Amino acid sequence: MPELTTPSLVKSPKIAIIGNPNVGKSTIFNQLTGLSQKIGNYPGVTVDKKTGWMHYHGSSYEIIDLPGTYSLYPNSEDEIIAHRVLNQLNELERPEFVLMVIDSCQLSRGLFLATQLIDLGLNLALVLNMADIATRKNIAIKSFEIFKALGVPILSTDARGEKGLDQIRELIHHQNFSKKSSFITIEEVVDANLLAEVQKKFKLSNSYQAYQMLRFGEKDKTYSQEDRAWIKSKLAETNFDLEKSQLEETKIRYRKITAIVEKAVVKTPDIKQESGIDKILLHPVFGYVIFGAILLLIFQAIFAWASVPMDLIDGFFASFSGWVSNALPEGVLTSLITEGIIPGIGGVVIFIPQIAMLFGFLAILEDTGYMSRVVFLMDRWMRPFGLHGKSIVPLVSGVACAIPGVMAARNIGNWKEKIITIMVTPLMSCSARLPVYIILIGLVVPDEFILGIFNLQAVALLGLYLLGVVGVFMTAFVMKHILKSEEKSFLMVELPTYRAPRWLDVLLTMYNKSKTFVFEAGKVILAISIILWVLASYGPPERMDAIRAEAQVKVEAATSEEQIAEIENETSSHLLENSFIGIMGRAIEPAIKPLGYDWKIGIALITSFAAREVFVSTIATIYSIGADTEDELTIREKLNQQINPETGEKVYNTATAFSLMVFYAFAMQCMSTLAVVYRETKGWKWPLIQTVYMTALAYFSALLVYQILS
Amino acid sequence: MANSNTMFTTADFIPVTRAAIIQEILDSPLKINLMELGFLPGKTITLHHSAPLGGPMAFKLDESILALRKTEASLIEVQLL
Repeated sequence: MPELTTPSLVKSPKIAIIGNPNVGKSTIFNQLTGLSQKIGNYPGVTVDKKTGWMHYHGSSYEIIDLPGTYSLYPNSEDEIIAHRVLNQLNELERPEFVLMVIDSCQLSRGLFLATQLIDLGLNLALVLNMADIATRKNIAIKSFEIFKALGVPILSTDARGEKGLDQIRELIHHQNFSKKSSFITIEEVVDANLLAEVQKKFKLSNSYQAYQMLRFGEKDKTYSQEDRAWIKSKLAETNFDLEKSQLEETKIRYRKITAIVEKAVVKTPDIKQESGIDKILLHPVFGYVIFGAILLLIFQAIFAWASVPMDLIDGFFASFSGWVSNALPEGVLTSLITEGIIPGIGGVVIFIPQIAMLFGFLAILEDTGYMSRVVFLMDRWMRPFGLHGKSIVPLVSGVACAIPGVMAARNIGNWKEKIITIMVTPLMSCSARLPVYIILIGLVVPDEFILGIFNLQAVALLGLYLLGVVGVFMTAFVMKHILKSEEKSFLMVELPTYRAPRWLDVLLTMYNKSKTFVFEAGKVILAISIILWVLASYGPPERMDAIRAEAQVKVEAATSEEQIAEIENETSSHLLENSFIGIMGRAIEPAIKPLGYDWKIGIALITSFAAREVFVSTIATIYSIGADTEDELTIREKLNQQINPETGEKVYNTATAFSLMVFYAFAMQCMSTLAVVYRETKGWKWPLIQTVYMTALAYFSALLVYQILS
Repeated sequence: MANSNTMFTTADFIPVTRAAIIQEILDSPLKINLMELGFLPGKTITLHHSAPLGGPMAFKLDESILALRKTEASLIEVQLL
């Protein structure tokens, strides 16, 4: 066979952006790459791999946004990634250049990481960001002093990342990075012979790389078994105290940095203190009141604004599927497309407005510096329940939708606290439960006022939300005692200076989070939708055919349009009853009878697994109300008329309705959430545990409620 | 308290708005994390804010405000100013 020669592509240079958290690193990344960003995964961790392209004067550059880190000592998943990318053994994968962003007001902390990068022998350039804020704080930086000491190029930019950005582009374009020998002598801390041996074994280019390998290589599962074993044996052989060496290194490094900073930074005493806002926002009483008010405002906005695009999406997919079913010939495939696939995709897309808006608000709170304050305020209240101050973000998001909540849990560094947060977030009453609650409350709770001010129905609704919150904390408390973890929980967060949000960053967050959800969770949701469709549209053929034949006879005998419509409604109800889902509903009847449900409700419980609000449309089909489920009154009336043939009493009495509401408050009936939990925990173990425990909790709570009330 | 001008204590006992000089970071697995953030002997820290009922404490260190839990603050030995 003739050898194929592919034209060798000119490889575009790879540039990694790194920096401490909150230094405006992502703003610079966003400005450089815009919408050309791609979000991927690093193997084995949940950290997003953010890459993008910068096009400048006809050349392309690949930019990697590394997670914020204080040092190259990996503590959290984020830091492991930064460490791994920069210590990459494979030359092809390793970035050629590193752009390090430093907060001008936090020079020494930034230089700590920067000098580690120098010691690694990376091609480096520094960006002193937030120069304007430094000026406002009366801090003057003599960049030349830093350049003299470090020997790497230095630029300065302002907080919005606009000023100085062209200089960054120029710098990247001209590959104006430079490699310095070393900042500290690691041999002062570690035996030189040992380092030389490691360096030779792994073909590393300097002794600091050897030190990093020695320090962390053993734990890094991306290295081969033999290599890790070799490092382990070396460590044991030389009786080497890793932690002590690291502390020693930190001291030496900071000593040298302090000397540089003393020369480079001129600080005139700051006259006005910026703690005024914190006096109010961190106030032991008003701090919490303001936080509550902000939450209320956000939910108000989400419910008011998200419902418009959501209705549009809903309407679009309904009419699109109608159009397709008219355009395509009748048949199984068409019905799979119009009743399975299109509504399945619609079921994914419908969440986008909520997810995007929620992440938009979270990004604003984060960007202004307020979110760290919330963590600060809430940590004390979260800790007794095995949660972290940072758990507040997922929990609060859960009131709108558990999906962004679970996605937000990845910021929690501690494994145990993160898992507990993910496991309990879906217990918060999300907006999909609302239609179910509203129908059932309307059915059994009188529209009356108690004490002249409290509407009983509103009180019942509030009670259901509180029930969710109670469920969250009780479950978290139980899990805290069950889950074992060696990892010590700690809180070390920076409360950044308040500033106005950067809108481009906010918009890109909204866009990227929605995209991740659609492409990652969307696959699972689509698959389950199709399975549910098959179960709901097929049944034992002889039974299904008999119903259709019977309907045909009736339709032919019908005299008016209304009669035909009624027959059609009845037929679809019969078909659903005899489908596989209908059979399943009947099969679970003995189990749900003690909860006050009949097999018809059983069917709705099963279809609700697609999403809770499906309860309403299923109920509508079962009681042959017809396609027009918009009219809640018709559903309510129909439900009110349902009589239990055995007892002669109403099916939807107070006990059953409340038992159902409690069931919906606790049950895991949302495949989208499960798909996201699967993605965030990297496996089916936790989504399965979650489904089992939530269903059990729902079942026994509903049982209790029904037995007490009936 | 007798002579609070030269009092040695740990950072979780610094009164609000009071400044203190870091003497030593006590040995613990979190020692390196604290040092990385810039909690180093010789530095001055001020208690900026304290969350109610034994919640986290926010210290001003150089130009930044860093929040720690009480247990972490107790690893920092200081001399009150």
